[in-house]
Amino acid sequence: MNSLAIRARGLTRHFAAVRALDDLSVEVPAGAVFGFLGPNGAGKTTTIRLLLGLIEPTSGSAEVLGFDTRTHGHEVRARSGALLEHSGLYERLSAENNLRFYGRIAQMHPLELDKRIEELLRHLHLWDRRKEAVVKWSRGMKQKLAIARPLLHRPGLVFLDEPTAGLDPVAAASLRDDLAALASQQGATIFLTTHNMAEAEKLCSLVAVIRQGKLLAVGSPKELRARGGGQRTEITGRGFSDAMAGTLRQNADVAQAQLENGKLLIIMKNGASVAPLINQIVREGGEVEEVRSGQGSLEEVFLTLMEEEQA
Amino acid sequence: MTTDFMTVLWKEWKEILLQRSAGGSGARQPLVIVLIVGILLPLRMGPQRFFSPEPLLILTFLAAVATSAVVADAFAGERERHTLETLLASRLPDSSILLGKIAACTAYGWLITMACVVLGTVTVNIANWHGQILMFHDAPSWLGLILGPPVLGAAVASAGVFVSLHAATVRQAQQTLSLALVVLLFGAIFGFNALPVSWKAWFAQILFGWSLTELILAATGIVVLIDLALVLAAMARFQRAKLVLD
Repeated sequence: MNSLAIRARGLTRHFAAVRALDDLSVEVPAGAVFGFLGPNGAGKTTTIRLLLGLIEPTSGSAEVLGFDTRTHGHEVRARSGALLEHSGLYERLSAENNLRFYGRIAQMHPLELDKRIEELLRHLHLWDRRKEAVVKWSRGMKQKLAIARPLLHRPGLVFLDEPTAGLDPVAAASLRDDLAALASQQGATIFLTTHNMAEAEKLCSLVAVIRQGKLLAVGSPKELRARGGGQRTEITGRGFSDAMAGTLRQNADVAQAQLENGKLLIIMKNGASVAPLINQIVREGGEVEEVRSGQGSLEEVFLTLMEEEQA
Repeated sequence: MTTDFMTVLWKEWKEILLQRSAGGSGARQPLVIVLIVGILLPLRMGPQRFFSPEPLLILTFLAAVATSAVVADAFAGERERHTLETLLASRLPDSSILLGKIAACTAYGWLITMACVVLGTVTVNIANWHGQILMFHDAPSWLGLILGPPVLGAAVASAGVFVSLHAATVRQAQQTLSLALVVLLFGAIFGFNALPVSWKAWFAQILFGWSLTELILAATGIVVLIDLALVLAAMARFQRAKLVLD
């Protein structure tokens, strides 16, 4: 069996003059939960459409589950499940019939389908309301059902496009837990796009950051934190100002420096030492009481990458 | 292919029935149609209904109207409710999605027509009971009832694909289709009346030279050819790569 679920090489897609995806090369191992991070309009949805063979690349190629997406899109779609930008639920139909429709599309045996519907709906605590029209459900319940749908036929690869977008924090956390449990039970490769860095850190074994169609970084969350975010330093004291933070930002080793609640937050580039900056702060009249250093979060790495790319 | 077609037909049929059986205008519209064409018109016409070509034409046109009421929802509605892209991301072939939807809409139009045929027959018999059941009695009438509604319904459903794919909303698609049907109906009536007398005579000479069965079969044949052309054109338009970017 191919150990790569996805292999994209120089994948590029133009829409008229707009380059929605620019020379994307990425490999996703089978069984990984792959987080695809990027701001709005970064090219995440276009990438999913290309990988599903829904649209053709302008140049480059992609192999998904061993199939060329340009020539074998049907095989890719048959072996994968997708929750796209919208839930895609038929709101007049019941939850059960929504799943039954997609189970029939996947050509599941009726008995197996019944069993799987019960298994998924029970897991998501939706079983008791399976006969109700989906239109009567809350957004959180609909989104749970929308996640159950692509997992129904136990595909080898599942695409999830911002599955927790628009949910309140409690519903999003609950959905993340369900998703993590289902993903580990199923052993499928998951291609997850999200804005939510905490979600990516919790769920993903591999993360890629994309902006304006260009891949900026790829690696495990730990690697990215170490590589892109550098050292995150929080300095407590007195006499700090925005002007001082601005001066610190001019230092070539500083990725980010800002004043937050009276504290100076500094992110260094490429493992550079923060010690020279402490001297600079003292020279400029700052009184340093405490210096705390640690690894930056994935969110800080993401923001740093965005700023670097903009610069 | 057949299984996929049946799967789409199953889903569409469930959606149509739920839409048409729920409260609101979705449920009222078929009831009003059945009330007018299945009860009021037969009452007004009486036993003559079974000996005149008018009811056959009305019932055939009714299939077109009923089909037009659901086809916009099947195509433009799927896009408006953001379910189309998920459907396109499945393994279903484009042709199965398209043909399943066309078949479901056509079947709905045919079912409404048949309901009006049955209800109209019962109504006329109750109102004019003389100890003998009155009904369409000749083969051409039955031929027209069996062939006319589905072939005209299929033409409307196929044309509805284009209208729906170009309309911004379901409502816009429904209005365009309704307008097109009205134009078609009155265009045919007034267009024929506006023809020069010599042309009308020429038409009549041809029509009276044929039996009613031959006329029905010829008309059905022409509409079937139109159906085929429309379905092929719809298949060329209804393609994933285009629909995803719409």
